[in-house]
Amino acid sequence: MTDVTITVNGEERTASVPPETTLLKMLREDLNLTGAKVGCDVGDCGACTVLVDGIAVNACLMLAGQAEGKKIETIEGLSTLEEYHPIQKAFEEVAALQCGFCGPGMIMSTKALIDQGEELTKQEIKDALSGNLCRCTGYTKIIEGVIDAYEEITGKKVPEVNPRAA
Amino acid sequence: MADDVKVKEKEVTLESLRKADDDLRLPAVPERTLFPKEIGVAAAREQTPAVGQRATRPDGRLHGLGQTKYIDDMFFPGMLHAKIKRAGISHARIKSIDVSEAEKMPGVMATVIGKEIPVNSFGPSYQDQPLLADDIVRHAGDGVAAVAAVTEQQALDALEKIKVEYEELTPVYDPLEAMKDDAVKIHNNESNVYSSKTIKKGDVEKGFEDSDHIFEATFTTQMVEHVPMEPHASIAEWDANGRVTIHTSLGRITLGRADISRTLELPINRIRIIATVVGGNFGGKNEITTEPILALLSKKTGRPVKSVYTREDEFISSTTRHPFVMEYKTGMSKEGKIMARKVRLVCDGGAYCSWSETTLGKACILSAGPYNIDNLHVDAYAVYTNKTMTGAMRGFGAPQVCFAYESHMDDMAKALGIEPVELRLRNTFHEGSASPTGQVLEAVVVRDSLEMATERFGWQEWQK
Amino acid sequence: MRHRGKGVGCMWYPIGFTVLANPSAATVKVNEDGTATLLTGTVETGQGSLTVLGQIAAEELGIATDDVHVVSADTDTTPMDTGAIASRTTYVTGNAIKLAAENAKQILFEVAAPMLDVRPDQLEAVDRKIQVQYFPQRCLPIADVALQAQFVMGRPPIGSASYNPPTVAMDSETGQGKPFSTYVYATQCAEVEVDDETGQVDVIYMSAAHDCGTAINPMLVEGQIEGGISMGIGYALQEEMLFDDDGKQINPNLTNYIMPTSLDMPEIDVDIVENFDPTGPFGAKGVGEPTAVPTAAAICNAIHDAVGVRITSLPATAEKVLKAIKEKNGGEQKALPAAE
Repeated sequence: MTDVTITVNGEERTASVPPETTLLKMLREDLNLTGAKVGCDVGDCGACTVLVDGIAVNACLMLAGQAEGKKIETIEGLSTLEEYHPIQKAFEEVAALQCGFCGPGMIMSTKALIDQGEELTKQEIKDALSGNLCRCTGYTKIIEGVIDAYEEITGKKVPEVNPRAA
Repeated sequence: MADDVKVKEKEVTLESLRKADDDLRLPAVPERTLFPKEIGVAAAREQTPAVGQRATRPDGRLHGLGQTKYIDDMFFPGMLHAKIKRAGISHARIKSIDVSEAEKMPGVMATVIGKEIPVNSFGPSYQDQPLLADDIVRHAGDGVAAVAAVTEQQALDALEKIKVEYEELTPVYDPLEAMKDDAVKIHNNESNVYSSKTIKKGDVEKGFEDSDHIFEATFTTQMVEHVPMEPHASIAEWDANGRVTIHTSLGRITLGRADISRTLELPINRIRIIATVVGGNFGGKNEITTEPILALLSKKTGRPVKSVYTREDEFISSTTRHPFVMEYKTGMSKEGKIMARKVRLVCDGGAYCSWSETTLGKACILSAGPYNIDNLHVDAYAVYTNKTMTGAMRGFGAPQVCFAYESHMDDMAKALGIEPVELRLRNTFHEGSASPTGQVLEAVVVRDSLEMATERFGWQEWQK
Repeated sequence: MRHRGKGVGCMWYPIGFTVLANPSAATVKVNEDGTATLLTGTVETGQGSLTVLGQIAAEELGIATDDVHVVSADTDTTPMDTGAIASRTTYVTGNAIKLAAENAKQILFEVAAPMLDVRPDQLEAVDRKIQVQYFPQRCLPIADVALQAQFVMGRPPIGSASYNPPTVAMDSETGQGKPFSTYVYATQCAEVEVDDETGQVDVIYMSAAHDCGTAINPMLVEGQIEGGISMGIGYALQEEMLFDDDGKQINPNLTNYIMPTSLDMPEIDVDIVENFDPTGPFGAKGVGEPTAVPTAAAICNAIHDAVGVRITSLPATAEKVLKAIKEKNGGEQKALPAAE
């Protein structure tokens, strides 16, 4: 067993885990932060996406020990007592989530993308979310939600494109 | 209970186990999840009349906040984890199963094999599927034994110690081969064809005679999986009054309860099934999988038992979509009117029936397409093969036959020199049309949908 | 070179089980402040059924969606339901809920009638009020009536009901019968781009016109259509479970089982074909499965339009499409069978 100390959603947390424990398992079972999900456990589906020092990472591919001393952000830390996070608000308003299982991962990937501060196109949004699989929604309303959130947070507009124009 | 057995052997292991158990025990007080004190209600949810409103979903809000608890997010005190050993061989007789080594492994609290299940068979149409194979294994993902242990890893380690002796049997994978009289019979039946359906309307032979053109084509489709993002998961727990409560990701709890009553020989009022949150279904969660097995493991150990499928389990051990072989013969008049249609469907029914009978029945009815056809003959067959069982999946045979009849329609349009949308409009159902089964149809809007979709597309004006 | 093509696919699909009984039962409890609780044995698997069913109950009681709290999926506390299958929930469970709400409402009408000096059959529930038909100015807030019902008249407004679609068994030799109570219809059109050097097919745009009877919640219907199309695209172009010679799966994982990601989705225009089914709750039918049905056909027809090849086996992978293009270009061209 090794002791691992990480900062999660602004709080320092320590847990004692077998060395082969993934960050995902530690978050879910030792810290009871079950927002990040086990969809495949091998990094294919993105349901376990969390932010590690601001970068979207599949928590199932990272050992808990590798997260030692790092700043982790999970879905549970997005909203506060005072504020409904704009990404979560936008997703609710456009009914972006259906069964919701891919939701936390999708939202954390979105946060990482918007936090980068770049100007976004629709294609860049699709690229950034391509590692988060969803079986229910066809991604359409999710992308609408991301665009709405981006426009609210940054005040900028995502350009309209017409893929049919040859 | 498991403590009492083999006390001396396990004493030392138990001491270290308890310590490990404590270390792995979850925080007594659950983590608090922050959410805003006031979010308010979306306007559409406050409007009357309610029908037609673009109302947002209260469960959607919880999904976005990460507050929704799926089965795998639930932890109960003393909970054990169960894993199923998969056969890994597609057709075999089980000669023996030895779980004794597995039972000695650290953390293992109980095992279950098929013979211990009071009624080891289930299925929505025919009860031909065992919960755990105890005699014949019919596909590589068939479960043969189950283990409950303190951690998932311990359960997985124990699976490797379960020894199963197989006598290999000749498998058959192709449904057309499996239909033959001399094919190896997968179940104790005279034929691997376990369901057949027919529709006969009018006189197809005369219809073909009256046709100006006859078109024939064969189409095939593949096996696919639902891939719900949430894998199958269940937790079983008993109380002192002999009632079992099962939290499970199951789309049909009334059926599930009846199945558990039947397989465990329990009165229905002693069973509670809760399925308030399911992460995607698409048809793959419409029958029980491990629930009765978990109930037995929980009974043996006196502790709640959870099972969560791995993504691999989802592919090899849960139901899939039927591959179809579809033969179409259509007689057309030169004006583009369908005079007669003959269809033969062979559906790869996998190792067990599951929802194949329903799929076959629907496919048979739908295979003619939404078209007025006075002379119709459809024959459809479901055939056992030694592959993953095929069951209910979004559409029950409709995507397969639609691919066939609409591709066929376009081919005929090209050969006749008639525009594809126009050809359809000359044949589609209208209000009061008779269906292939002679039903008078009302609220028929297929023409409207054709017109709307093609207009939105800009079909007439579209250029390459 | 890249070629564009257009393709269409239309379909029909039934609601409910084939002939067999598939009932749903429901209970609606009106609380003493005019809000309500709905008990249903159905299972929410992501499609948004609980919201839609709440809207149906709300409509019948004349209150708003948010006034109805929906409790589901517990065999101890909710009435039986055949389940979330066969696109039956809005129609069958919805009808059960409408009937249950009517029964609860009937109690409210019987209690309100003497309060308003009319007969119960003259009343209607609209806009959180119980009011007289054609004379709406004579009305009471539903909260007042509910309170009166429970605490003064001693008649808690609880209504229960069940519904099963009426069918006729199919003849075993001819299949003739009435297997379903209602059907839905749809058309999808696809614009694809095919690369004739790689066989790669990209779906650029789709239009989808779907019938669901009355759309109880159009936003959730759109979600079903978009989700169904993504499954249809995977079915048409990517997904396949492969077995080796020993009957074991070669790709039982998401690395090698290719399914649509955000990059594979086209722009989609969704239209709901408005119509009213008199047998459904407020005219509604269903929509869950039909959305995945015509997609593969539309895409394969578009491939045919783009490069002149007919794919007869799914999925239309790049390898298959390229092989078909090469066969068409090299070797003799085969005429389509159009025998006399």
